[in-house]
Amino acid sequence: MTASAEEGLTIAVAKGRILREAIPLLAAAGIVAFEDPLETRKLILDADVAPGRPPVRLVLLRAQDVPTYLEYGAADAGIAGRDALLEYPGEEWYEPLDLGIARCRLVVAARKDDPAAPSGSIRVATKFERIARRHFASSGVRAEIVKLYGSMELAPHVGLADRIVDLVATGDTLRANGLRPVEHIADVSARLIVNKASMKMKAAAVKELVAALREQVEPSR
Amino acid sequence: MGAAAGPWLLPAGVEEVLPPDARGLEELRRDVVDLFSAWGYELVMPPFLEYLDSLLLGTGPDLDLRTFKVTDQVSGRMLGVRADMTPQVARIDAHRLAREGAPIRLCYAGTVLHARADRVSGARSPVQVGAEIYGHAGVESDIEAIGLMLEMLRSAGFERPHIDVGHLGVFRGLARGAALDDAEQAPLFAALQRKAEAEIDDLLQGVPAPWRERFGHLAGLNGGPETLDEAAGRFAGDPPVPEEVEAALGDLRAISEGFRRLGETVHFDLAELRGYRYHGGVGFAAFVPGHGREIARGGRYDGMTTVDGRPRPATGFSADLRTLYQLGGRRPGRRGGVLAPWPGEADGVDRAVRELRAAGERVVHRLPGQSGGARDLECDRELVRDGDRWVAVAVPVTGDGGHG
Repeated sequence: MTASAEEGLTIAVAKGRILREAIPLLAAAGIVAFEDPLETRKLILDADVAPGRPPVRLVLLRAQDVPTYLEYGAADAGIAGRDALLEYPGEEWYEPLDLGIARCRLVVAARKDDPAAPSGSIRVATKFERIARRHFASSGVRAEIVKLYGSMELAPHVGLADRIVDLVATGDTLRANGLRPVEHIADVSARLIVNKASMKMKAAAVKELVAALREQVEPSR
Repeated sequence: MGAAAGPWLLPAGVEEVLPPDARGLEELRRDVVDLFSAWGYELVMPPFLEYLDSLLLGTGPDLDLRTFKVTDQVSGRMLGVRADMTPQVARIDAHRLAREGAPIRLCYAGTVLHARADRVSGARSPVQVGAEIYGHAGVESDIEAIGLMLEMLRSAGFERPHIDVGHLGVFRGLARGAALDDAEQAPLFAALQRKAEAEIDDLLQGVPAPWRERFGHLAGLNGGPETLDEAAGRFAGDPPVPEEVEAALGDLRAISEGFRRLGETVHFDLAELRGYRYHGGVGFAAFVPGHGREIARGGRYDGMTTVDGRPRPATGFSADLRTLYQLGGRRPGRRGGVLAPWPGEADGVDRAVRELRAAGERVVHRLPGQSGGARDLECDRELVRDGDRWVAVAVPVTGDGGHG
């Protein structure tokens, strides 16, 4: 379970859009992988760092796995969307920085021609089970959650669900599938998270990383 | 799994410990309890099962959720299996032992049960070891508790554990100074736990200066002893911070100084408001390299019980012995042994065996008709007749380790 060499840092990054937008941010903070993370098939990449800085390696994961790596101490820091963090059943980490990348929204959507909110219990298709459950519970709506792994937009059209809970960036996908957002749940962007033990045991390296990234994200501070 | 799974499978998160680890774990338990005893801590053995209301007295909803419950068919009342021994020990202090005068030091080691498995370790029945001091409200008892925790960790094999200390008084005092009500404190407290600075900034929008800035600095106030000076600087100015904050910083300085004298370094984190809900005041935890979570924790919990109507001062720490054993690298001590003939088969063996055992030797009898030899029973010597005496002679080590 050792995260890395005594003083090096292991940073877990969610693949896909977050990785694409994180690469320039990391580069500006002085961390450049020796191989292009978007081209290579490798999942563990050593990175070039400024002389005198602790070695860094990047591990590329599915977004939902980033919190798991952090919690088990298999990575010192991680970059994942707020959606993945909210969906994770725990928050045993520090979340020092909103990186402001990979912005989108978590919304409840319904069919365009959908009548007013159905009374009684509704059926909701989503891959964000916990978030959906919490959202509807807090607004006092009885919701039956149908867990899906993708193409949620279909569910309302085939009678599988009355609503969906999903991430929306531009809204094009919803529109193209005859849906419209009806409730806003949360604004989502990628966060830097840090393992609590790493923050203490590797304080210098972690604080340097946070400061370097903060420099890129909030140059004014 | 599948059809072959037998009825002897254990429930999720429940473990058994086999040789030789059971012996290693027990050796560690004895060493730890002996260490506590050498510091003046008396062992207590609280019951495994109690009335729920007594078990949860003075604790928060976290512990309630972690407690296994059953109905007592004798009294009709609800029973709980202990999920944490600290409140039990506090109750023993308050109701059985407490008296005016000398502080009471108690220690314990036993299995607890959690209603749900820990998400990371998967464990549901840790072996909790800990030590508590009652009846002393000064920071010195906190220093003693941290010092003893450090010794316990050393004895478990951790050479340089990282000790992290915080103080709830800092947050509480600032919240009072800024006149935040409970509903405003809760989300701020949660955001501070995660050092989520963007979120903290948002929550502080309506808070007037200089409290807003003071809270804003909290998440960054962590590190070595210099953190405390930095904090004092950040909190300076008008209006002055409440006495509670000054007192908390004073306690932390005393801790820093106390350990500096011992040649130890402790670290501070003023945004760390850890622990179960019953903790208040000084709080601390220990970390070791390569493990993503704390391995021991403790702190002050004055007032969980009352004695003569007054809140009882209390501080202490606990840890999971299995975690200490697994990570500390201690393994069962090497041992030899003497294989002896069955007494009925040879004259005078009884006495020889008794003498060897009295001298601390491990002696195993060879049962009539048994298969296997000395090595199979972890014996490196065998009792053989030498004239009219019995002597233990070394068993030759065969190529395959003596099996067969």
